[in-house]
Amino acid sequence: MANNDNTNPLPLQGLRVANFGWVWAGPVVGQTLSFLGAEVYKVESRARIDINRNLPPFAEGEPGPDRSLQNHAGWAGNGSITLNLKLDAAKELAKDLVAQCDVVVENFGPGAMDALGLGYDVLSQVKPDIVMLSMPTAGLSGPLKDVRTYGMSLTSLAGLDSITGYVGGDPIPVENAFSDPYNGIMGAFAVLVAVTYRDRTGRGQHIDYSQQEAIMQLTGPAFMDYAINGRTEGPKGNRHPVAAGAPHGVFPCAGDDRWISIAVTNDEEWQGLVAAIDEPDWAASDDFAAAADRLQHVDTLHEQLAAWVAQFDDRELAARLQEHGVAAAPVSDVSDLLSDPQFKARGTFIEVTHPLGFKETIYGAYVKNSVSKPVVRPGPQIGQDNDHVFRELLGIDEARYRKLIDDEVIY
Amino acid sequence: MAERALEGLRVVELSQLVSGPYCGKLFADFGADVIKVEPPQTGDRARHWGPFPNDEPHPEKSGLFFFLNTNKRGVTLDIATDQGRETLLELLRDADLLIENNRAQTMRDWRLTYDDVSAYNPDLVMISITPFGQTGPYSDWNGYDLNAYHLSATGHRYCGRPGEAPLEHGAFSADFYGANAAAAWGMAALYGRGVVGGGQHLDVSCAEVIAAVFVGAQNIGGYAANNVFERRTGVGMPLGAPATILPCKDGHVWMLALEPGQWNGLAGVMGNPDWMQLEMFQDMFVRAQNADAMYPLIQQWTMEHTKADIMEWCQAAGCPSTAIYTVAEAAEQPHLRERGYIVDIEHPLLGKMRNIGAPFRLPACPGGPASPPPLLGQHNDEVYGGLLGKSDGEVAGLRAAGVI
Repeated sequence: MANNDNTNPLPLQGLRVANFGWVWAGPVVGQTLSFLGAEVYKVESRARIDINRNLPPFAEGEPGPDRSLQNHAGWAGNGSITLNLKLDAAKELAKDLVAQCDVVVENFGPGAMDALGLGYDVLSQVKPDIVMLSMPTAGLSGPLKDVRTYGMSLTSLAGLDSITGYVGGDPIPVENAFSDPYNGIMGAFAVLVAVTYRDRTGRGQHIDYSQQEAIMQLTGPAFMDYAINGRTEGPKGNRHPVAAGAPHGVFPCAGDDRWISIAVTNDEEWQGLVAAIDEPDWAASDDFAAAADRLQHVDTLHEQLAAWVAQFDDRELAARLQEHGVAAAPVSDVSDLLSDPQFKARGTFIEVTHPLGFKETIYGAYVKNSVSKPVVRPGPQIGQDNDHVFRELLGIDEARYRKLIDDEVIY
Repeated sequence: MAERALEGLRVVELSQLVSGPYCGKLFADFGADVIKVEPPQTGDRARHWGPFPNDEPHPEKSGLFFFLNTNKRGVTLDIATDQGRETLLELLRDADLLIENNRAQTMRDWRLTYDDVSAYNPDLVMISITPFGQTGPYSDWNGYDLNAYHLSATGHRYCGRPGEAPLEHGAFSADFYGANAAAAWGMAALYGRGVVGGGQHLDVSCAEVIAAVFVGAQNIGGYAANNVFERRTGVGMPLGAPATILPCKDGHVWMLALEPGQWNGLAGVMGNPDWMQLEMFQDMFVRAQNADAMYPLIQQWTMEHTKADIMEWCQAAGCPSTAIYTVAEAAEQPHLRERGYIVDIEHPLLGKMRNIGAPFRLPACPGGPASPPPLLGQHNDEVYGGLLGKSDGEVAGLRAAGVI
């Protein structure tokens, strides 16, 4: 589905993408490119419904692969065509589509596209300058390349899980695939870097994108401590990741499960905090005089601060601390995302009408461009772009198109 | 070395700490000429954040600064002075991209808003990355990664035990999410300047990016429709099991066996104990309801074995369990060594430094860190003299005035 509007030029207009990506990371690659103007078709099939299409809850409580409210935000922007890739005729149509694309995206395991007869060797014959992004868990080569993880456990291989948890305790799992949308956006960056190179040199390529390596960049600061000092530490809680300041944490406020985050990384902010608390005796202790002292006595510092914070409403306290120059903000729960004045002011979440007619709330442009405003399309409804792609783009006549549908090739 | 993908692209980075510099690094990794502009004397604040060798602070020895600033050139400039501001505008005149992560009020004070800089170079793309964004009631707030991250509900929803503190991941998670989004959207804005008719300003809020694409993606539709929402449970997956982190003999493992084949694979690895045949453990949902009974039984077994053995045996049996690698173990993986992900870079003060490589591989035009981060003001002469064509006398004058 093209994002074309002459009054609102989007920078990737004219870029066409065949997105074989599934679940979450691959679709977010397509979404990112689509928000910025690319024409993106998710290639999927009713023969094997993408598991994310069946995530509850569903629109109006009615289950169905086009009604997953938990899926549409992450997929919005992708178009959809259906091809049953077990069938040779469908593979040929996929190749015909790729011949008219700039980019192919997939996030299966290594070799899966080759097994389908749609590997880079084949697709680069169909379209010599194709940019193909393959983003398996641990890359296309190496002894761990066939490792199996879930999205939420992939971070274990990057060292990231080992630093997540309460200080002194066991690692605590992150309860969803934190790296999936991260890799989806980074995958879009990878595609655009490669397309820039293609435009200058005429050369396409097969991007070897290891989700493990991309998310391991977040472990970089801790990695450097190991590289420099041979030191490797356990969970860091909410402490400063490189121990550059204290207090640094979240503290319970008045109310049910309400918290505030407070981060102090220099003397000016510390003095602001002390002033906001009305100069209590404990803050004058030598234990908290200099930044190094505050780090050394971080536990008692946090206890003192928590005792004071507990009486306040999180939002009122954040505003009060900000008046003193202290970096503080409410800790949101999911419901706050729709009511928080910052997200409301920025239009972070929007209500759209799905092609099937129901209304749903998804996120919109999560970066604000001064010129190019993404046109955010909900869905996609499975196969919504079949007519356009097979008949107009590939020029298939009505009779053959009907037969391909009857034969469950387009399915 | 093969020609790199972003050769010919010039980036000016007016950024400190994590978000802006990581965004700049992504461009530098793939061959853009990134000129980092730092305040004279003190430099980027990251120079004063560790890790340092033996924990002794030194502005040229910060591991954080090293990681975030490879492949860049570095100059010093006092933007707050008229001469400094003029010099920055000269740099921007021929630049493609400006990356900044200063507070909005600071940019206004410096008279370096998008309106100001685009008047000098209408083709310039400008990226602003801040915790909360350029608009909205929090836009002038002070903030760091921790504040942005927790405003996004990521911790409240997904990380921590019920009733206890929501957790950051021990990293700069929101800063990295913001930097990543800035790079992708910035790259698109650069790519499409011909279509769009010039440059534009990209306003990135780290809190908004992670709130939208991670938490919002799989929560907001359901919450808006049904007015109910979930919170952290402290368990990997509360509705399916086993799916959580368990201790083992030498650390921890991510124990996952949800589908029947995975569960049967795990049973085989564990020697087919009788309890695994009980009715109460026959599918992932029932197992989750009986998790309090099941996890201790699995843990008895994991405590007898190492993470490496558990991962190897499970993976071979079709069960996707993995080792929780410590940072050291992650760094020492033969897999990453074989793929060339771990690289060595020579630094004038730190000697040979190990670093991690590019986030992805482009076989036709490889990227990744190759040269060390700049010493403070290292490239003043070649940038102000060579690039801007100032005479030796002019450069000396700026230096004497404390502008550089």
